[in-house]
Amino acid sequence: MLELRLVQGSLLKKVLEAIKDLVTDANFDCSATGFSLQAMDSSHVALVALLLRSEGFEHYRCDRNISMGMNLNNMSKMLKCAGNDDIITIKGDDGSDTITFMFESPTQDKIADFEMKLMDIDSEHLGIPEAEYHAIVRMPSAEFSRICKDLSSIGDTVVISVTKEGVKFSTRGDIGAANIVLRQNTTVDKPEEATIIEMNEPVSLTFALRYMNSFTKATPLSSMVTISLSSELPVVVEYKIAEMGYVRFYLAPKIEEDEDETKP
Amino acid sequence: MSRIETLGLLEEIQALISDKLQVVSYKWLSRNFLVSSNVAKRLLQEFVENHGNDTEVVYSLSGWLKKNPSSYHVRLVSRSMLAEAKGDFDDNCSVQVYSVQACIPKDPAALWNTEFVQAEELFKQPSAVNNCLRDNRFCGISNSFVKRNAEQAPLSIAAPQSKSAGSAGLDKSNILHKNIAVSPPQQTKVQKASPTVSMQSSKSERNSTGTNSHASKPPVDKEIIPPVTANGNKRQNGKSSSEGGGSLANLWDRASAKSKPNCAPAENNKLSLNTTVSAEAQIRAREEIEGMSSDDDGQNANVKRASNGEGGRKRRVVFDYSDEEDEYGGAVNLASPDPPKGKLSPDSKQRTETLLLEKKNLIFDKQKEPEPEVKEVKAAKIETQPPKEELSVVSKGMKPKMASLEKIQRSNLEKDANKEDSVTNAAPTSPKRRKVLKTRIDERGREVTEVVWEGEETEIKKADSHSTEIAERNAATNIVNRPLVAKKTRAVGNTALTNATGKAVNRKAGNKDPKQGNILSFFKQV
Repeated sequence: MLELRLVQGSLLKKVLEAIKDLVTDANFDCSATGFSLQAMDSSHVALVALLLRSEGFEHYRCDRNISMGMNLNNMSKMLKCAGNDDIITIKGDDGSDTITFMFESPTQDKIADFEMKLMDIDSEHLGIPEAEYHAIVRMPSAEFSRICKDLSSIGDTVVISVTKEGVKFSTRGDIGAANIVLRQNTTVDKPEEATIIEMNEPVSLTFALRYMNSFTKATPLSSMVTISLSSELPVVVEYKIAEMGYVRFYLAPKIEEDEDETKP
Repeated sequence: MSRIETLGLLEEIQALISDKLQVVSYKWLSRNFLVSSNVAKRLLQEFVENHGNDTEVVYSLSGWLKKNPSSYHVRLVSRSMLAEAKGDFDDNCSVQVYSVQACIPKDPAALWNTEFVQAEELFKQPSAVNNCLRDNRFCGISNSFVKRNAEQAPLSIAAPQSKSAGSAGLDKSNILHKNIAVSPPQQTKVQKASPTVSMQSSKSERNSTGTNSHASKPPVDKEIIPPVTANGNKRQNGKSSSEGGGSLANLWDRASAKSKPNCAPAENNKLSLNTTVSAEAQIRAREEIEGMSSDDDGQNANVKRASNGEGGRKRRVVFDYSDEEDEYGGAVNLASPDPPKGKLSPDSKQRTETLLLEKKNLIFDKQKEPEPEVKEVKAAKIETQPPKEELSVVSKGMKPKMASLEKIQRSNLEKDANKEDSVTNAAPTSPKRRKVLKTRIDERGREVTEVVWEGEETEIKKADSHSTEIAERNAATNIVNRPLVAKKTRAVGNTALTNATGKAVNRKAGNKDPKQGNILSFFKQV
C-alpha cells in the first residue's frame, strides 16, 4: 500500500518536466525515507537522481519498499491534467500494475483520479560515491539556464573553468566563440541572486551543451543551482526542491584533446 | 625433412629466439619454413632437447582431465608447471612443445603474436597466390571438416554448401582448421589453474586474445581516441571491407554527428543500404569495444547487440570451453581483424565429441545459407578480401536465455534474408560482421560457447533515422531483448551534439562521439 499526498502538487509537475526530456522510462523507488528515482539517459552520458523526502509530503505511507516503472512522458501527460494549485496524491496497491494520481483542487470541489499503467523496467542502479569536488559554484538557476541557452546557439560544447577569477563558460563554433565569466558576488539584496564560488583547485571541464540545456529544464524548481566540478568526476548540477529534496543531474565530461574536432 | 635441413632450422630457431627474442611456436615454424606442423613440433622438441636449458619452453598438454566429468582439455603450460599440470590430466595425455622463447612473456598474447602477424600477412596475399594458409597444407588433422582446397572462398561459396562440406565450406574456416588443427583436438574445459593462468588458456582463447591484442587494444585503451583513429583502426582491421563503397560511409561516420542526417538521404538514394549499415555497425562496434573497456559488464552489451542484428546474417562456429575462461577472455573485447585468426573453430571437439559436432554442423549449414549473398556482394566489391569482423566475447552468465535469443535472431535472419538479397547485391559496400561468443548450457549439461557471426544489415528504410527507429522498436518489442536494452548502451557515451531530429538519430549520432565520457565509467552499479 502506498499513499503519498503532496500539497504542492506543482512540484511534481515541475520535476517531471525537468527530467522527462532526458529519461523516457524510469523506476520510481518508494521507501519509508522518500520517493526517489535514478536513471540514465539512453546514451548513458547523463544521470538523473531525484529525491523527495517523506517529510516533504503531507501524508506519506509506504508499507514496503517498492519500485514502480513508469513512462515519464505518460506520467507527465497525466500530471499536466493537474492544476498548479492542486494537491496531488499518489496511490498504489501492492501487486497492482497501475498507479493512481489523484488531483484535488484547492477548494476541494474537484477531484480527479488518473490511473496509469506501470511497466517493468530493467534499470541499473548506480552507486554514486560521496565526493569532494574541486569547485562548487552556486548561482541563480535562471542565469545558468540563460548561459547554456546562449552558448548553445554558438557551439555544441561548453568549457566550464573555475579559477580564482571566477567561473568561465566558453564555447566555440562555426560562427565564432563566446566566453562568459561570472565573478563571485555575494553583495546582493536577495540571496537568490548571489553567485558563490568555492574553489579548492582550479578545474576546467568540457560538456555537451545539449545535456546542459536539458538540465536547465529544472530551473522552475529552484532559484539557485549548484554546479560541482572535479576534474575526474562527472559534473553535478543540482536543483534543490524546496525543503524536500533535490534533482541532481550528473554529466560525464567530454574528454578534451583537441577541441576543434568536436566542433563541426 | 632431411637431417641437414633440420639442423639448419635448429640454428635458425636459436638465432630467432636469442637474437630477435621472438616466440617461436610450431605454427609459426610450420608456416615460415613450410614444413608440416608435425615436423615443426618435432623440430621444436629437438630444439628443446639440445638447447632446452637456455630457453623457456611452453608445452601444450592435451588429454582428458582426471576430474569428473572428464573433459578433453588443451592447456599451455610453462616448463616449471609441466609436472603439476600433468597431474591434472589422465595418464596418456600428449605433451608437445608449443613454443620456445627466451623468456615466458608476461602477456600471453605475445605467445601468438608472431603467428598472428604471419597469418595476417599470408592472408593479405593476393587471392591468386596459393599460400599455406589458404590451402591448409600443413594441417595435422585430416577429416571431413578439414579441407585442403585452395579455393578462394569468398567467391566460391556462393553456392549453398552441401551438408558435409558444411563447416569447411568457407575458406576462412579452412584456415581456422588449419591453424588449430596442428594441435590435437581442443579441450572442452579449461581451468584457470592458479599461477599458470596466463599460459594455459585454451588455444581458442589464446587466439581470440591474440586477436585482441592486435585489434581492439588501441580503442580499448581509451575512449579518448579520436574518431579518426578509431576508424582507421577499424578499417585496418577490416582491411578490405571498408575500402570499397564503404569508404564513403566511413568518412561520414567519422564526420561529426551533425553531418549524419544530411548524408543519410544520399545513401538512401543510392539504395546503399549497406553503407548505412556499415556505418552503424562501426558505431556499434566501437561502442562495444569501448563499452568493454569501461565496464566489466560489457558482455551484456554484446548480447543486446547480438539481438540487434536484425536481419543479420550470421554464421557461427561452435566450440566449447569453460566459462572460467570466459572471465579471462571476457575482460577484454576481441576484435578480430582477419578471419585466419578468428580461428575459434569447432574442430576442438571433433575427435572427442563427434556426435555433438555433427549436430553443430547442422547448425552451421543452416546458418550459412544466407551467407552466400553476403559474400557475393563482397566479392563484387572487394575481391578476395575478408569481411570485416568484430569479435567480441560475451562471457558467461548468458544461460539458457541466450539460446532463445539466438533462436530469435535466427528467425530474424531467415526472415530478412529474402528481403535483403535483392538490395544487398546493389549495395556498394560489404557487410560488416562480427563474432560474438556466447556461452550457454546445452541439454546435456555441458557448457557450449559459440562464436556467432553477426551481420549488421538492417532493413531497408527510406530514411536513415527511420530505420534506426525501427530497429530500436524491434529491439524494444522483443521481450527477450528488452531487459538488455538498458544495458546495451553502456558503452562509451554519446554526446549527440546534433540538434535533435528524433531520438533515434540523436542516439546514433551520440554514439559517434568518442570523446564523450560515459557516466558508467564513473559510477559503478550497485
